[in-house]
Amino acid sequence: MQNPYIPMPVEVTKIVTEVETNDIKTFRLNFVNKEDEENFKYLPGQFAELSILGKGESPIGIASSPTQPGYIEFTVQRAGTLVTGIVTTALHDLDVGARIGVRGPLGNSWPIEFLEGKNVVVVGGGFAFTTLRSLIHYMLHKDNRPRFGDISVVYGARTPGLLCYKEELAAWEKRKDIKMHVTVDKGDANWKGREGFVPTVCKEVGPSPENAVTVICGPPIMIRFTLPVFFELGFAKENILTSLEMRMKCGVGKCGRCNVGHKYVCKDGPVFSFAELDKLPRDF
Amino acid sequence: MLKKIALEKLGDLVSALMEKGPLYAPVKGEKAVDFQEITNPADVILDFYNTAMSPKFAFFPQSEDLIRYRLGKEATESEAVSLDAKPSVILGVRPCDAKSFEIMDRHFLGAGIIDPYWNDKREKTTIIGYAFDPSTAADPADFYNTLGISASDTAGSDIFMIRTDKHLLFKGITEKGDRLLKELSVLEAGSKTDEKTFEDKAKKGGEVKTRFMEIQDKAVAGKLVQVFNNKEFWEKATAACISCGACTFVCPTCYCFDISDETLFRDGVRKRFWDACMFTDFTLEASGHNPRPRIFQRYRQKVCHKYSYHVDKYGCISCVGCGRCTRSCPVNIDIYSIIESASKL
Amino acid sequence: MTAMKKIEENLRKEAKRLLEGGEVSVVLAYGRGYDENHPMPFAARTVEDVDSLVFNEYCTFNLARYLPKYPPKTKIAVAVKAADSRAVVQLIQEEKVRREDLVILGIPVTGMKDQKTGEVIDNKTTCNMANPVLYDILLGDEIHGFKGGSPYDVLAELEGMDHDARMAFWKKEFEKCIRCFACRKACPMCYCDPCFMDASRPRWADKSPTPDGHLMYHLTRFYHLAGRCIDCGECSRACPVDIPLYLFHKKLAKECEDMFQQAAGMKIEDKPAMVNYGNQDSDEMLK
Repeated sequence: MQNPYIPMPVEVTKIVTEVETNDIKTFRLNFVNKEDEENFKYLPGQFAELSILGKGESPIGIASSPTQPGYIEFTVQRAGTLVTGIVTTALHDLDVGARIGVRGPLGNSWPIEFLEGKNVVVVGGGFAFTTLRSLIHYMLHKDNRPRFGDISVVYGARTPGLLCYKEELAAWEKRKDIKMHVTVDKGDANWKGREGFVPTVCKEVGPSPENAVTVICGPPIMIRFTLPVFFELGFAKENILTSLEMRMKCGVGKCGRCNVGHKYVCKDGPVFSFAELDKLPRDF
Repeated sequence: MLKKIALEKLGDLVSALMEKGPLYAPVKGEKAVDFQEITNPADVILDFYNTAMSPKFAFFPQSEDLIRYRLGKEATESEAVSLDAKPSVILGVRPCDAKSFEIMDRHFLGAGIIDPYWNDKREKTTIIGYAFDPSTAADPADFYNTLGISASDTAGSDIFMIRTDKHLLFKGITEKGDRLLKELSVLEAGSKTDEKTFEDKAKKGGEVKTRFMEIQDKAVAGKLVQVFNNKEFWEKATAACISCGACTFVCPTCYCFDISDETLFRDGVRKRFWDACMFTDFTLEASGHNPRPRIFQRYRQKVCHKYSYHVDKYGCISCVGCGRCTRSCPVNIDIYSIIESASKL
Repeated sequence: MTAMKKIEENLRKEAKRLLEGGEVSVVLAYGRGYDENHPMPFAARTVEDVDSLVFNEYCTFNLARYLPKYPPKTKIAVAVKAADSRAVVQLIQEEKVRREDLVILGIPVTGMKDQKTGEVIDNKTTCNMANPVLYDILLGDEIHGFKGGSPYDVLAELEGMDHDARMAFWKKEFEKCIRCFACRKACPMCYCDPCFMDASRPRWADKSPTPDGHLMYHLTRFYHLAGRCIDCGECSRACPVDIPLYLFHKKLAKECEDMFQQAAGMKIEDKPAMVNYGNQDSDEMLK
């Protein structure tokens, strides 16, 4: 039996600084052992514990897609208050070639089968776009694309410099099988795109609730203002999905800290529909 | 199988058990009695009410190493700590505490992922339960009757021990228990009379009365969901709470833990250790957001976890009414009273 | 009527008057617990609440501990015994509580008992004073002629030990520590947020319960309370594993008193010994 608390060794093979504030980086990790790579079967929406011995572990959503074999990627924001942020800071100090550990994949995923045959509206804000990026890559893969209806994306950040995955956004813009609506709260001299808050843009885009599901990830304030827009558009709560964030340690439903009611976010989540969340106590 | 030994030969039994592997038994400290690994047979005492700390540490030590490593400039050598618990025995576990192991099993061994650390020690340990003395009144804080446990309940024990005037009687409850009883040559075989005595004494356990209220797992679980948003109730019930971790650390069914890396120069250990939902930073996220910043929210989590979420998830209340949380609370908050008043809302 | 019963009666009377007249919005005192010997800290907010107030020899809690959590300008009545009143004074000195927000209900009392052991705690775990040092209303008769020796008498045994024996004593005691932080949380002077033990950058002590970490935690806490500990003994009574923390606190309090001729929380005009500097201060510790 595999010990669920022991990480697998991985090597950092690529680091991309995503934003102009330098506090969000994407790490590409390659498994040191081939069999670990084979065992690491995941779907978009799942997360893993990144482990640095001497510092600790941090649960991070997987930003790559299983359709991108050979490596996994994680986008990490350097967090930090007096009492938190040791691991993310240590991750940011890493160079290519460093060896760290990974435990996972953990948690549930975006419900791929549920999304199949439906129009998918992806809504993301800021750094919380990571597992949505995974989902988009997954759906756009040529083997998977026919399984989904229309795909549209609303992605926003405070400024152009704070948008993650800029090259991929540009590439997706050019495709015909995905509708991109990238927006910033406030543009700069070079910004030629849209300006406006994510909820407003969602309203303008006005996706039809007909056979459609929306997946939303972003800061709490964005979610709070985006939800009513989708309710107004006629989306049912079962068809609005999100990914919860809670402090986690073990990632396997044992350490008891990430519960919302009787659900452990690390094991029963992080993906929940708002219909499911309605049934849980307001404790998150 | 029933075996017995004369009271004055307790030392011989303890020595025989120590030969089998580590033995944990009640030992008198300066003030309180607690389970300790026995090095001197004479230290074991059987005259005690209940231990201050619960015996959960035997399977779930307060701190446990997961990975040991040596930090290097280029590479870090690391080694997962191997699971090699020695076969051991815990002697003198009160019925409520023995029951707690079964509840903890549902969490650590059920629900898909088996916790290897708990499992390793649990499998290799034999539990000798010990009936509460029917001639001693239950501590006012206890309420194990409420959870359907009697003073001589054998559930959760491998062997059950009852003390008579002159003897200790041992009854095998599980195969594991029978096996150990067979191996202990210091024990005499019990006669028919002894069997009768055991049964009589066991029955007497039912006469020990703790605090009692009629509760039904499902009903109380549902009630707490209803009461969840009654902020006024929770604030009032927990107004005195100082948000320390005493109640959770002494609790036999609290299992929350933290994982942390600790290094001294280049040598490091990743370990897991008890954590408490009552601590401010228990749910503090890296972003600085805390879903449970207030004391009443944390206390509510504790109560709801034990009496509601655990019922939904594992089909039983995660409390055995041992009274430790109430006894050890610096401000005498009493979970029994809270459940009682919540039920009446 | 016993002195305790009289205090209880006066407590209810005054609490009722203060709440009814709107002088305060909360009365911090003692309420019923799960039995007679286990009362609880209780915050009465309404006149109906007043009936739940109690006082007996087991009302050992130092309620000053709850004061800093109320926002300034909340009018609070707080019931205090001698040591507790020193905590209030110390909190006022440290500007955590404002004198004008408080109605101090003084309780002159001796013979309080430990809830676990029933032992009288006067001259052992607490400062051995009978009358509060500061109050607005006295709930009983001032006690005269109470003598129980110096609060530092209990240190004799420890002070008689040599360095190694003392170290061994404390190491053995700290070994019992389960890091529940009840001592810190029960202490009226432990209000730091975050406490150095909760900070992770830098991390001052092992987060897990290691012997080194225990030493770091307790010694740092002891020293942080030097000249501030008012000797109420709450830390020791709160400890579920009975570590005699009061002994260390008393020792430091004694040293501070010797060095600076000032005991913590005695006079509102005093400055805490460790933040005050005077030319006449002892330079003993620099040697």
